[in-house]
Amino acid sequence: MIAARSKGGAARMDEILGEFIAETLETLEALSGEIVAWERDPTDRARLDAFFRFFHTVKGSCGFLNLPRFERLAHAAEDVLADIRRGTRTADPAMITAVLAVMDRIGMLARRAADAGLPDIPEAQDDALLDALHLASDGYEIFTPPPAAPPVSPPARQDMAQAPEPSMSASAQPVETALPDEERQPADAPRRASAPRSIRLPLALIDQLMNGISDMVLARNDLARRMRDHGADPELESSFERLSANVADLRDMISKTRMQRVDRLYAAIPRMVRDLTRDLGKKVRLELDGGDVEMDREMIEMVLDPLTHIVRNALDHGIETPGQRRAAGKDETGALHIVARQSGNQIVVEVADDGRGIDRAALVDKAVAARLCTAAEAAQMSDADRLALIFHPGLSTAREVTAVSGRGVGMDVVRANIEQIGGVIGIESLAGRGTTITLRVPLTLTIIPGLIIRSGAHFFAMPRGNVVELLHENSAMVAIERIGGAQVATIRGERYALIALEDVLRLDRVDTGTGPRTLMVIRSSVGRPYVLGVESVESNEELVIRPAPPAITAAGAFAGMTLPDNGQPMLLLDAAGIAQIAGLPLRETEGPLARPAAGPDEARDPTIQALMYREGDGRRRLMPLGVVDRVEDLPADRLVRTANGVYARIDDRLLPALNAPAAPAAGATLKALRLHDGHDQLCYLIDDVIDIIDAPARIDVPLGEPRLAGLVMVEDAQYEMIDPFAIFAEAARADAPDRARPVRCHIADPDDPWMRNILATLLVQAGYEVSIGPAPEGAPDIILRTDTGAPIAGAPAPVLTLSAAGRTDDAIYRYDRAGLMAAIAQATGRAA
Amino acid sequence: MTDTLFLFTLVAGTPVAVRASEIEAVVRLGEVVPIPLAPPHVRGLAALRSRVLTVIHMETQIFGKARGDAPAIFAIVAEIGGHSYAFCVDALSDICHAQGGVLPVQGRIDAAWAPFAGGLVEREGQSHLLLTLADFIAGSGSAARAA
Repeated sequence: MIAARSKGGAARMDEILGEFIAETLETLEALSGEIVAWERDPTDRARLDAFFRFFHTVKGSCGFLNLPRFERLAHAAEDVLADIRRGTRTADPAMITAVLAVMDRIGMLARRAADAGLPDIPEAQDDALLDALHLASDGYEIFTPPPAAPPVSPPARQDMAQAPEPSMSASAQPVETALPDEERQPADAPRRASAPRSIRLPLALIDQLMNGISDMVLARNDLARRMRDHGADPELESSFERLSANVADLRDMISKTRMQRVDRLYAAIPRMVRDLTRDLGKKVRLELDGGDVEMDREMIEMVLDPLTHIVRNALDHGIETPGQRRAAGKDETGALHIVARQSGNQIVVEVADDGRGIDRAALVDKAVAARLCTAAEAAQMSDADRLALIFHPGLSTAREVTAVSGRGVGMDVVRANIEQIGGVIGIESLAGRGTTITLRVPLTLTIIPGLIIRSGAHFFAMPRGNVVELLHENSAMVAIERIGGAQVATIRGERYALIALEDVLRLDRVDTGTGPRTLMVIRSSVGRPYVLGVESVESNEELVIRPAPPAITAAGAFAGMTLPDNGQPMLLLDAAGIAQIAGLPLRETEGPLARPAAGPDEARDPTIQALMYREGDGRRRLMPLGVVDRVEDLPADRLVRTANGVYARIDDRLLPALNAPAAPAAGATLKALRLHDGHDQLCYLIDDVIDIIDAPARIDVPLGEPRLAGLVMVEDAQYEMIDPFAIFAEAARADAPDRARPVRCHIADPDDPWMRNILATLLVQAGYEVSIGPAPEGAPDIILRTDTGAPIAGAPAPVLTLSAAGRTDDAIYRYDRAGLMAAIAQATGRAA
Repeated sequence: MTDTLFLFTLVAGTPVAVRASEIEAVVRLGEVVPIPLAPPHVRGLAALRSRVLTVIHMETQIFGKARGDAPAIFAIVAEIGGHSYAFCVDALSDICHAQGGVLPVQGRIDAAWAPFAGGLVEREGQSHLLLTLADFIAGSGSAARAA
């Protein structure tokens, strides 16, 4: 405190005030996610403490900053929470609502302090809130809610971002808030102690860094091109490579500073759901998943409003009142599930409710009334087409405009907002079962992979995310026909509109005679996928995208510009804009991709990637792709046969080689999978690789064969899935025969079906050698018997007794798998 | 005073002045890549080191079409609304002080120039029309936007 004052000056004070406000708003935002949970369980000590700390901190800082109004509010709320902590008062919903109202007011005042343009709130209004705090124990609400908070994203919050310290340390110096610790202490010592090590940075600085790095990438590309043109000596090239790698690393790191957890997107939702369900008299259980997924801060800001709107819609129009739900035979509490996940370079956010679904008939009626289509046309529409009507301006199924979502902002605006950032919105709805709205947005805006397209002397870039497939015009899979001036390309039975890029851009089509034109199957954010015919596709590059000026984007065909490696400025094509210029129908939102077969089913059954390969005997099997390091050619003479098994000589190392053919032809080249378990490597010989497929993670039928995990169903065929654990275990045993010789188990009751069928299988699966018979053969490490069988006298090894009845002093319950395994391990003196 | 610092050059054969505060640099343009579907005054894109400039042909914007088709060589670089532009000019230019400041336009000037002339700037006894670069970006002039 002294340090701060000795610096004195109004500017210093303003700075502290600014920081206080930013921090208060940030804490509020973080806490708003906790409110609902706290309300459900007001006795939750940890949450109570979090709220108490908040008010306490505000109160403390306010005293220092001389903000009596904040102090009064915070003090009153703190008192109430202190009573609850002491147990002299109990928390009830009305009281919590009153506390929340005080929190809201503090937030409003903080925003107002940061932005004098916001309306002032007379201080006298605070009294009602404070009264509510003290009186609100009667179980009903005695005050009217405060005026709606200003729209999300208050200016103070937009200006600051948290950035992890290590990545920023190099540039931390010019940041004014990077003060020595002792100077920061006074204002916020209590919170700092537990806060993660981080500093505050103005967002503008991060944006500048990002622009700077983009320029650097472009300059590097330019240099690379010049070096290619002039031919550089190897030393220069290796220096350049190093620089290049550094630039790439730096770019990745700076991209990360722009990333924020999706939690931030979620922060306001629980509170909103709570308030709305109260207003609407509905009951909703909210589930938020995937909060740890990260996305670009800018994208979070852009997705926030559409997501808010979708959630409002779901609560207002989707989920029914408890009475309606009961009548429909559903749980009276509705479910709203929001989940975020990363899928490639996209973030997918799904909002699913189990409400009444979207009323197609009402949509169609409205569309007909609005003359979007005739009743006859409507009758012809597919269900997806009808559902997509909801994205038309002015169509909303709600019978009347409500205060909650009927604010004149419809799904058309939501879609426009999502598409503006290169995203796609999809919708699925089942009458009476609920609606799922899926937002797919790119991970980041600035650097995207793109294809460079040539058209005569012109070059253009197309975001790779829009390109589903590339084919040559003369490919056997393509049939092109002209129908009434339009061109249709039929690719593997699927019909697409075919448009030529030159026609859209009004360029002369150049016949360079360089071979067939290329067809690109384009999936844009709107409309059905279509096929874009171009002269050729030249290359594939990471492109730094810069916004194009309005004079260029006005045409609608271009989304931005870029400077690729060839140094020639280039425009980025707008896949949706091109469809629009070409006059393609814009009705369907996702086209064939939205087919249920590819959607929900997949989501239900988790899959793993598997390598499909052919065994020496021609059988097709699957290997989990995760353990496959590479596929390599292995000359047969590299295989070494030893007493412990076969080894492959690779890079002067001997790796265990499993599944090796008994007698390969001399001089033959074999194919091997190099498997890697994170520590050890081995070779697994195969005939050939066939494909990489998605296979169900769940095994349908386990098999007894040691190397196989079991059978899985892929489409209509069954394949054997290799058990990598068994393979590595086998290799390890071969490698260290003494240490890893399998435990020999002997089952002493051959007539007991449980022992024979179930226990033996279990033991084999666990990697043990099993013998069955009345008398032990060889030298078993352990003998297993049932408590009903004949006792064994003079056993050559420890005896383990299993009981079907339960654990007794000298027997183990036979279904106690863990106990059984532990007993075997203990009896044989080593871990299984 | 920076307000009296102007860049003097020629556009469509007419002496013009631009406030130095609007200008980032004057450069020699390299290859200009044409832009399909763009209005005629948007000549194309040019690379300046690692930056991409949108090349604006002021003459086309003023007269609706270019008189003559000489390739632009010199251009004024300016950043407007977050985008970098290159404005083609006829000749190498000077930046210097004009002590007289901006004077009102005297007499009747050509209708084509009228929307762009913001005043007169005197330099070495010669009057220059004062132009504001931002006026040339939008299709606000006589150049109708290509449909």
